[in-house]
This record gives sequence, structure tokens and C-alpha cells, in this order.
Amino acid sequence: MSTAASLHQSRKRRNGVMMTLCVIAAGIGLAWLALILGALLYKGLSGVNLAVFTEMTPPPGDAGGLLNAIYGSIVMTIIGIIVGTPIGVLAGTYMAEYGRFSKLTTVVRFINDILLSAPSIIIGLFVYELMVRPMGHFSAIAGAVALAILVIPVVVRTTEDMLNLVPNALREAGTAIGAPRWVVIRSVAYRAAMSGIVTGILLAIARISGETAPLLFTALNNQFWSSNLNAPMASLPVTIFQFALSPYEEWQQLAWTGALIITLTVLALSIFARSLTGRREDK
Amino acid sequence: MSAVQEALPAVKGSRDATVRRFALTDSIFHGMTRAAAILVLVLLGGVAISLFAGSWQALSTFGFSFLTTESWNPVTEKFGALAPIYGTIITSAIAILIAVPLGIGIAIFLTELCPRPLRRPIGMAVELLAGIPSIIYGIWGLFVLAPFLQTTVQPFIISVFHGIPGLNNLFAGPPYGIGLLTSAMILAIMILPFITSITKDVFDTVPSVLKESAYGIGCTTWEVTRRVVIPYTRIGIMGGVMLALGRALGETMAVTFVIGNAHRISTSLFAPATTISATIANEFTEAVGDLYTSSLVALGLILFVITFIILAIARYMLMRIDARTGA
Amino acid sequence: MSQMLSPDMTIATEAAAKSKIEVKNLNFYYGQSKALKDITLSLPERSVTAFIGPSGCGKSTLLRVFNRIYELYPKQTAEGQVLLDGQNVLDRSQDLNLLRTKIGMVFQKPTPFPMSIYENIAFGVRLYEKISKAEMDGRVEQALKRAALWTEVKDKLNASGLSLSGGQQQRLCIARTVAVKPEVILLDEPASALDPLSTAKIEELIDELQADYTIVIVTHNMQQAARVSKQTAFMYLGELIEFDKTEKIFTSPREKRTQDYITGRFG
Repeated sequence: MSTAASLHQSRKRRNGVMMTLCVIAAGIGLAWLALILGALLYKGLSGVNLAVFTEMTPPPGDAGGLLNAIYGSIVMTIIGIIVGTPIGVLAGTYMAEYGRFSKLTTVVRFINDILLSAPSIIIGLFVYELMVRPMGHFSAIAGAVALAILVIPVVVRTTEDMLNLVPNALREAGTAIGAPRWVVIRSVAYRAAMSGIVTGILLAIARISGETAPLLFTALNNQFWSSNLNAPMASLPVTIFQFALSPYEEWQQLAWTGALIITLTVLALSIFARSLTGRREDK
Repeated sequence: MSAVQEALPAVKGSRDATVRRFALTDSIFHGMTRAAAILVLVLLGGVAISLFAGSWQALSTFGFSFLTTESWNPVTEKFGALAPIYGTIITSAIAILIAVPLGIGIAIFLTELCPRPLRRPIGMAVELLAGIPSIIYGIWGLFVLAPFLQTTVQPFIISVFHGIPGLNNLFAGPPYGIGLLTSAMILAIMILPFITSITKDVFDTVPSVLKESAYGIGCTTWEVTRRVVIPYTRIGIMGGVMLALGRALGETMAVTFVIGNAHRISTSLFAPATTISATIANEFTEAVGDLYTSSLVALGLILFVITFIILAIARYMLMRIDARTGA
Repeated sequence: MSQMLSPDMTIATEAAAKSKIEVKNLNFYYGQSKALKDITLSLPERSVTAFIGPSGCGKSTLLRVFNRIYELYPKQTAEGQVLLDGQNVLDRSQDLNLLRTKIGMVFQKPTPFPMSIYENIAFGVRLYEKISKAEMDGRVEQALKRAALWTEVKDKLNASGLSLSGGQQQRLCIARTVAVKPEVILLDEPASALDPLSTAKIEELIDELQADYTIVIVTHNMQQAARVSKQTAFMYLGELIEFDKTEKIFTSPREKRTQDYITGRFG
């Protein structure tokens, strides 16, 4: 009896220890997040002023802003989304609709999942070999293409998942009134899956707006204002990279401010994206 | 109501035209979606081919010794990938060692212990952490974590392990702040959200009857987790860990800030080192000469092959757990 | 002449109503497994036919062959003949979209499209007809009236179809089907997800619609079959056991298995 009681005691103790460790793990995780966000706010906020949004990136040792970098990021992100989204949506549509039961879909899903987590610097190298080398120079368009390639797998994945959630009964109903498959997809399936697909696109924007590695040797960087897509273009992440590693205090401050801007943008996009699907689930 | 039937012949002619138009538009749309799906395959194939073509010069010059040579000398044009490979594997391995217990612990906390109202916000915070761009981790690592480690933690550890054989080599000075261990810590915090959210997801696939019957015979929460939940979800957790490992191996910016970019293999975890991705990021645009560039692309090819294998294994494992739950 | 092939499966009705759909030696497969075994029957025009039987007997499968909706899925094949006005709809050359405009279908669960009530109906009409806004308004109104839904929704045509109650949604689906002017309407357990009151409304509707349409209804509710149909087919394990006038099936079936089923001895 006493051995049973002591066994029970030791089991309980063990349970207590392990559960405490789990709570500590969660505490460490949250504290770490708080530390990063705290440092970002503390160091970034102090540099936020109007000049950041109205002036060009300065030469070393001077004050200035991030206007050309912000502009470049927006331009390349938009082109990346415009190029990548249709391809991603179409491919996801094939996988969930026309090719739902085909072998091709299984293969594409597997490969797409790998692309989804493939190192983005590899994509940069690919676009370098594909565009920069043949063209002979770095360009904003090459940067945008690299971003588009990162967009595709994200959109493919969410489009397929969201279309798979559309009940088959709805497709059958559309088909049963004589609508051809593509009309059923366009007018019924896309509508039913709309918020989910938009979420996927927003998450893709969030992902590429902070990407640095694929831009390093495609769009490169540009200290000056440039709207020429065929020339190197500045971007916020690459500028942060360059400025943070520099010895100049003004540059480092701008890097922190840029980092804050990117983080807030990405967080806002992710929260907005999740709130879209969140509402859907509540229904 | 027979008017309904009589109306039919009138529209018959235009109906046939519509039917033909539909057949055409449908096959066009079908073709477009199929082409887009195939493009995904072409993309990955294109990545492989272009990396192989770009690295051909380096591979044919150095052959297999590219993998086993430590020297990386742009002046004499002698390039070997051993140091970056070593740095990549060591930083990722340490990151996994730190992040896996933490991640599983957080997942257990979220599924078993966390008060219900806090579950969603904390779960969401963990997922948001996954969305923060890696450059943010990098800048934080460089300006906050590295100085902290350099001034407080590293001198302390060095003095503690000084004179203990083995460990004194592992933690040898001087304290730079940046280096292998700092990179590994940054990687760990970056992959933590992935491990947590995948583990949490696979924990949720455990049928509640299974857990209830274990509780029913008097098991503690830890025993249920250890003996029922974790064995049941082992493949899924492994898949998540592999996925995180794939991320860690290929992660560029966060590491580039804090690795120190030194092409040498050091036994000390405090020593500056380099990884494949950091080398490419730091040197690619400055590389002079075709052989230098080609060697960097060859590094990319090695990284691609390693991550492809790891990610393929990860997906295979996650697919198996999906198949079991019928999801 | 088809009567000669299997006289026992054809109803010798006094007026010898023209048959709308004739099924001849139909077999159906899900992959390797045979779900319908040599089905032969003939459905009279402008009248309600019910398919009954225990679940898994093939009654829904048979219904889904008529408009070939099963072709959305792989590895499902039908062989034999299904003649619609003498034309084999299983022919390779049969255009599926056109077939489905002639044979409408209403499903077990209401399936309103994610669009407004008005658009739910206009959507199908617009596919094959170019008509003016005024004409379309008329068609929508007519269809909604036909489905006994007009008075309930006429003030909120722009509201989402999903905002209606289950019974209303199902009547919207019937309106949508009627709007494209089919010749045959297939109903796959249309009331099984509805409350008794909505069910009664749907049954009333079916009764009215048979003046213009050939209606086939699958139901697991024997009372419903008895109430709404003129003839009833009893199916079991993929076979057509008995097909006769509904009255006959429910009062003096020929087959013992039919007798057992309708008296509730199995199923």
C-alpha cells in the first residue's frame, strides 16, 4: 500500500515538474517575442519622422530618409503579386478542380510544398542566372520576378486548400443546371472560397515585403530615386541590410526605423489576413 | 404552363452555339490551369538546372574536393565548401536542439495547460512570430543579442569552462558576440514558431477517446502526453522538425548579420564562422571572376540539394499523418 | 417496343402514357464494384416516380446517371442505355451541359450559390439565353412563384441566398432548377434535411410541378413516396426489385422483399 502511495506521489511530482517546464517554455517563447518587438519599437520609433518618408537614402554620415527604398519595395511587391497571383490561383484551381484526382496534382502538390519552404536565396540565384546574367545588369524587374516566384507557392497552397473546402454539393448543383465547369469554378467555387484566397494573397504580400535574400543580386540596391524597372532599384530590406552593417550611426538608425516599418506592415497584413478567415470560420 | 415547353425551340439554335462556345472556353480555361500547375514543376526544375549550369565551372575545376576543402581564397582562386557546410550544419543542429524541446513544451502548454481564453491569443502570437521577416531577427541579433552575449554571457561561460578538457575548446574565447552559437540562437527563435504550430496541429489530430481512456485509468497529464499523444503523433512531429530544419539550413539574412563571415572551421562555438547562405549573400555581388561566382553558385547547389532532401522527407512524413487522419 | 423486353417492369397504364426516360440494361460501377445491376425501367412523362429502398441500394446512383453528374468523379462508369425521348444520353457525343439543362437536379441538402437570391436564379438562365433585364426580372419572378417562394422573398431579392431558412433555400434551389426550363427534374431526397412544415411545402410543390415536368424523386421516407408519386420503384442491393404504380407497391406488392421493406421488416 505504501509503495503504491509513494509511486503515486512520485508520478504526481514528475507530472508537476514536466508541466512547469512546459509553462516555462511558453514563457521563454513569449518573452523572446516581447524582447524583439520591444527593441524594435524602442530603437525604431526614435527615428520616425517626416523625413523618413520624404527624403532619399543619404550618403554615409548624412541625415536622410527611406523614400526611394519604400517606393522600390512597393513597386517590386506589386509587380511580384501581379505576376505571381494569377499563376498561383490557376495552378491551385487545377489541383482542386480539373485535376483533383490526377497524378499530376499529387506531384505538383509535393513540389509546391518544397518550393514553399525552399531557401529564398536559392530563388535569388535562379533569377540571377535566368535574367540578370543574360541581360547583363541588375534590374528591378528581375527583383520583382524573384518575388513573384516566392508568391506562387503560397498562393497555390491556399487556393487549393480553400477550394477543397468548398462543398462538392455546390459544384454538383452548379453543374446540374448546365453550367460548364469553368463557369462553376468562376461563379460558384471562387465566390465561396474568396475570403480564403484573398487571405492567401495577403499572406504572400506579407512574406515578400520582408524578403531580402532574393533581392540582393537581382534588384541590387540604388542610393537614388529610380523608377526605371530596367535598372537597379532600392528596397527597404536590402537598404536595412546595408545600413545595419555599416559603421555610420545615421544609417544604423534608419535601418532600425525601416525594420520597424516592415514589421508593422507585415504584422498588420497577417492580422488582417487572419481576421478574414476568422470571420469565415465563425459563420 | 405549356408555354414553358413551347418556348424551347425558339432558343434551340442559339443554345447550340452557346454549347460550342462553352466547350471551347472550358477547354481553354482547363488548359490554362494545367499549364500553371505544370509551371510550378518547371520552376523547381529550372532552379535545379540553372544552379547546375551556373556551378559547372567550379565543379569541373575542383571536382569532388570542392566538398572537402576548407580553404576559400579569392586571390588564389582556390575554393572549397567545407567551412560553409560545417557552419550550416552546426548552426542548424544547435538551433534544432534548442527549439525542439521549447517548441514541444509550448505546444503541450497550449493544448493541455493554457487557460481557454488565452489559447487563441497566444497561439496567434506564436504564428505571428513566424511571419516576422528574417532581417528583423538579424538586426536584433546584431545590435541586441550579440552585445549582450559578448559582454555578459560569453565571458562568464568561458571562465567557468576554462580548464575543463573538451568543454574549454567548445567555449574558447575571445568573446566576439557574433559567431556560431549566436547564429544558432537566432535560428532557434526563428524556427520555434514552426515547430510549435505544427506540433500543436498534430496534437489536435489525436482522437479524444484515446486521451480520455488514458485519463480514465488514472494517468497524469504528463503521462498521457508522453505515452499516448507523443507516440501517436511521432511522425507528424518529426515532419515538423524536419521542416524547421529545412528552414534553418536555408535561412540567410538572420544568420548573415551575426555569423561573422569567417571561412574557417573552429572548434569553438563562440568563433566567427560562415554558412552557405551567408557566404552567398555576403560575397555574390562582389565576386570578381567567373570561377569565384561559379563557386558561389555551387554552394547554392549544395544548399538546394540538402534542403530538397530534408524538405522532401518532411513532406513525406506530414503526408503520412494527413493520410491517417483522412485530412 | 421496349415493353416487349421486360414486360414485368413496365406499367400497363390504362392511358399508356408516353415514356420520357427509358433505362435499358443499365450497369454502373464505382471502380471495380458494381452498384447497379442490369436496370431496366421506363418513366412516364409528366408524372412523379419515386425510387425507394434501404440506403446503399443504388437509388441515388441511378438518379445520378440520368444527368451524368457522376462524371465529375473518376472511376465511375455506366454501361447500357438511358433514353431521353429516344436518345441515349450515355452516348459519348452527348453534350453534358446541354443534357443538364434538360434534366435539372435538386439535392439532399439545400445548395444555394454564394450570391443573391435574384442572382441564384438569373445565373442559370443567363448561361444559355440572352434576355433583357425586364425579361429576366419576369423569369425570376415566375420561377420564384413556381417554387412558392415569391411572397416570402420578393422584398429582398438582393439578399444572399444563404440568408434564407433551410426550407426556403431548398425552394430557391427548385426555383433555380425550374428557371432554366428543364424537361425532367431529379430530386435526391429533397426534404430529408428539412423540418416537417417545410417538407409539406416541398411535397405540395412537387404535386403542382408534375403538370409540366417529369419528376423523379429519391426518398428513404416511404410515406413521402406514397404521398407524392404515381409510380414507385423499389431497389435493393443495386437491383430493381419491383416497379409498379405506387398504390400497388404499397398495398399489394408482388415481391416478398418489397413487402418486407414497406412493412418495416428491414432497411
